[in-house]
Amino acid sequence: MRTADFIAFNLKLIERQRLRSAMLLAAIAISVMAINLLTGIGEGGKQFVLGEFNLLGKNVLIMLPGKKETTGGIPPLTGEATRDLTLRDAEAIARLGNVSAVAPLIAGKMEISHDKLSREAFTIGSNRAFFDIRQLEVAQGKALPQLPFEQSQAVCVIGSKLRKALFGTKPALGQWLRASDNRFRVIGILKDKGEGLGFDMNEAIIVPVANAQALFNQAGLFRVFIELRSLDGLQKSQQRIIALLKERHEGEEDVTIITQNSLLSAFENILNTLTLAVAGIAGISMLVAGILIMNVSLIAVSQRTREIGLLKALGCPARTVALIFLSEASIMALSGALLGIVISELLLYVARGLYPTIPFTTPLWAQLGSALIATATALLFAAIPAHKAANMAPVDALLDKKARQA
Amino acid sequence: MIELRQLCRSFQIGDQCVHALEHIDLKIERGEYLSVMGPSGSGKSTLLNILGLLDTPSCGEYLLNQAATSQLSEEGRATLRREHIGFVFQSYHLIPRLTARENIELPLILAGMAPKQRKPLVDKVLTRLALTDRAAHAPNQLSGGQRQRVAIGRAIVMKPQLLLADEPTGNLDSVSGREVIELLEELNDEGITLLVVTHDQSIGERARRELKMIDGRIASDSANNTVATSTAP
Amino acid sequence: MIARDAARLIWGSVCHSLGKSLLTALGIGIGIAAVSLLTSLGSGMQLYMLEQFSQFGTRIIAVNPGKDVTHGIGGLLSSVRPLSLDDAQALVDLPGVEFVVPVVQGAGAIEYSNRQRNSDILGVGAQMSKAWQFKVSMGRFLPEDPSGLSRAYAVLGYTMKQELFANTNPLGKTIRVGGLRFKVIGVIEKKGQMLGFDMDDLVYIPTDKALQLFNREGLMEIDITFTSATSSAQLAGRVKQVLSERHGDEDFSITTQDEMLLTMGNVLNVLTIGVAALGSISLFVGAVGITTIMTTTVRERSAEIGLLRAIGASRRQILGLFLGEAVLISLLGGLIGLSLLAAIAAALSLFVPALPLSLQPFFLTLALLASAFIGLLAGVIPAFHASRLNPIDALRAE
Repeated sequence: MRTADFIAFNLKLIERQRLRSAMLLAAIAISVMAINLLTGIGEGGKQFVLGEFNLLGKNVLIMLPGKKETTGGIPPLTGEATRDLTLRDAEAIARLGNVSAVAPLIAGKMEISHDKLSREAFTIGSNRAFFDIRQLEVAQGKALPQLPFEQSQAVCVIGSKLRKALFGTKPALGQWLRASDNRFRVIGILKDKGEGLGFDMNEAIIVPVANAQALFNQAGLFRVFIELRSLDGLQKSQQRIIALLKERHEGEEDVTIITQNSLLSAFENILNTLTLAVAGIAGISMLVAGILIMNVSLIAVSQRTREIGLLKALGCPARTVALIFLSEASIMALSGALLGIVISELLLYVARGLYPTIPFTTPLWAQLGSALIATATALLFAAIPAHKAANMAPVDALLDKKARQA
Repeated sequence: MIELRQLCRSFQIGDQCVHALEHIDLKIERGEYLSVMGPSGSGKSTLLNILGLLDTPSCGEYLLNQAATSQLSEEGRATLRREHIGFVFQSYHLIPRLTARENIELPLILAGMAPKQRKPLVDKVLTRLALTDRAAHAPNQLSGGQRQRVAIGRAIVMKPQLLLADEPTGNLDSVSGREVIELLEELNDEGITLLVVTHDQSIGERARRELKMIDGRIASDSANNTVATSTAP
Repeated sequence: MIARDAARLIWGSVCHSLGKSLLTALGIGIGIAAVSLLTSLGSGMQLYMLEQFSQFGTRIIAVNPGKDVTHGIGGLLSSVRPLSLDDAQALVDLPGVEFVVPVVQGAGAIEYSNRQRNSDILGVGAQMSKAWQFKVSMGRFLPEDPSGLSRAYAVLGYTMKQELFANTNPLGKTIRVGGLRFKVIGVIEKKGQMLGFDMDDLVYIPTDKALQLFNREGLMEIDITFTSATSSAQLAGRVKQVLSERHGDEDFSITTQDEMLLTMGNVLNVLTIGVAALGSISLFVGAVGITTIMTTTVRERSAEIGLLRAIGASRRQILGLFLGEAVLISLLGGLIGLSLLAAIAAALSLFVPALPLSLQPFFLTLALLASAFIGLLAGVIPAFHASRLNPIDALRAE
């Protein structure tokens, strides 16, 4: 039998059993839709979260004071160590070959006031390089000036929310802010980057690192960001930085260097696993749909016993009989999968409209994979009934021994 | 017991209106034995279905025991069927997964009778039909004649007043056919009203009253020898 | 029709096409198993988390510096108005307070003779072992010394002791923590991991020493435990009042354990429900399966339906019989699902014993009820269809 004849034959059958075919189609479509929808949501969520945390370039290292023996666990994030990381350490690192920029960081919370308005703000002490490394843009005014690390200057850059809280609609540039005993002149306003998952830079104030040291009465740095000229010598540069600090710290290796990549890849792994798990749970429904396909095919075989007998009597080989049943199942599976993919795409389109910041898209592998799984499931579960039909003896089938006798 | 007044039944088939029964007037007394004969499409089966309360007339009235039935709800008709009417079909219509005994018991079950009360009734029917040793058999283990006897058992177990048989011998060889028709006649002798629809002249002529139907009308009725269709307005 | 006869008729028709019924039930069963397995995992996870958090006792209040702790890092950042040891001391005498533990955490090198280990250093008060219910397996815990004048004593976590001393006795030995000398006076019993934080690989030293060591002004956290006579809300109010008076401002934040547990419980509940909803997609497909199969059953058995109507069955009776069949198949599915669940749970507990799985009889019963309900819903359309069949047409259908 030619393929076209198969399809025509089956389409007629499907049309005749309209309700049953519709239900079968629905079952497959629901499963495929669930898989695609959930993978799409998972992927969107992953891209969103990674985008939120992907604030630093690939060539940026993060150094924290303190070191733990156990690797793989939580790095010493508290930033408290028995020996401080100092500005001199940062300067020394900046002089290394492959290092293009170094941003020391002191962070804290401080009451910031202007006139009678005051607000507790996230306070960052750093330098010009910090703006480049964190990819911060200035909406008004300018970023912190290029200064030697240890030189202080009473200037600050503030986030847009903080600006609104302290100045309302009045101009902020050139105004003075008070932080405990110090005064800072506002020289820049950060561009609003929208709600984020990490630190909300919109509520932050950035001052030169030397000023922050004085403000918090603290010499030790919380973090040092190190930007490398090229990615090539990442490992080697890391080792050279550690060796340098070991030398400077009397032979003790007491800092930890992490790359954003290592953090993100761990993160990405978790999110990927989650997406897969969720899609897998949805995939269970495919198994259920498969069982349904088998059940319906079995019923079809017993209902169409006479027809099978007739086909065989007309000289139709067993293989063709099996193919009739298998091709019916795969037509159903393919059209169900197509329907499911279309519905999931529609729903994701709506979701993208509702949450434009999250890139909901089902990856191609999930779409092809789910269609493939649907077809494979259908063929697998239809195999037994098809085999049963193919092996029917034509005489029995024509006589239809099981035909109703009441 | 039964009175049909100017009864019509028409069907819409495509955009064509088919008049299966046209202005039928018919009276049947308790204990009568009627046969209905006529060519295919003459309205025999429609008449049977209406008498059996499976179908409702398009116009006219059907009185059962002097009570009009046209205003009855579907549920009310179901109750009347259960209590007053027994059916015997050409193809037996036994439920294959139930035994002979259970098939006979079915109307009692539907009526909500307790098992203890059912047992003697079913036993009596089984004995009456000489099926006691077949009671535990499934329909496909029985011969055609036995199957039809089980179906008759099911039709009479509720002690109906009216027994409607639609080609009861149609699927049977002549020997079992004769046995079945004799069984029905015995039941009629015991008082049940019997109406047999058949193609078979020899069976039709056994009835005390013969109706012949043509084109939805009663062409002849051996009881009054008048052509009923003349009453059409 | 009396119930027992109806049940027998339904049972008979389910058993008559057993293969078909079982396959249909299997679909529902897989769905039920998926949902109950996932909810069991969810509630197991919830129990596990509760256990993890309540191992420090449930009557705990934590005070962190900084008003806004939405980033969860309040204690880590520098602050112009830190929480001091004196603040902690001021809370000791509040009514209802049992223990007060000032906490500072950092990392550094811990050395003994020629061995060195870089790990966490925890500065805590003398009452920590009692407050957090940490038992000392060797020696004793840090003594109560006047604030700021603590002696240089250290207590080791289990792993730390093994790494530095192996099987020798550490008591009385001198170790160096961040270059300063401490005398080991005790070892804490093995505690294991808590949410990825190894609670054995660390050293405990007095808080004031830790502040010196890290050159830090303020505490990261003050933990307060209270007696059962006080409620957490009452105590939180008192703590807030005392600290606000001392600081002239509310520049700290208070988290009570029950608040935290409640929040966490809510989050986990939502998660569990979400995961269960995912699982119920297969349940839904299973229900579609019941509808499909019942539809074909009605078509197959329409002659029988016609006969039943002819011998006096009412529409309600037909509806009941077919609904009953759908419910029975679905219930069968529920049972299959629970057996699947039992098998999977047994396999999991054998191969992944760490997985928290909590099978609750209530939910299992609920699963069975749910399966019956699904059967009812899935059966409505075909059963209604059956009850509306015209008996004449139905009888003619062969």
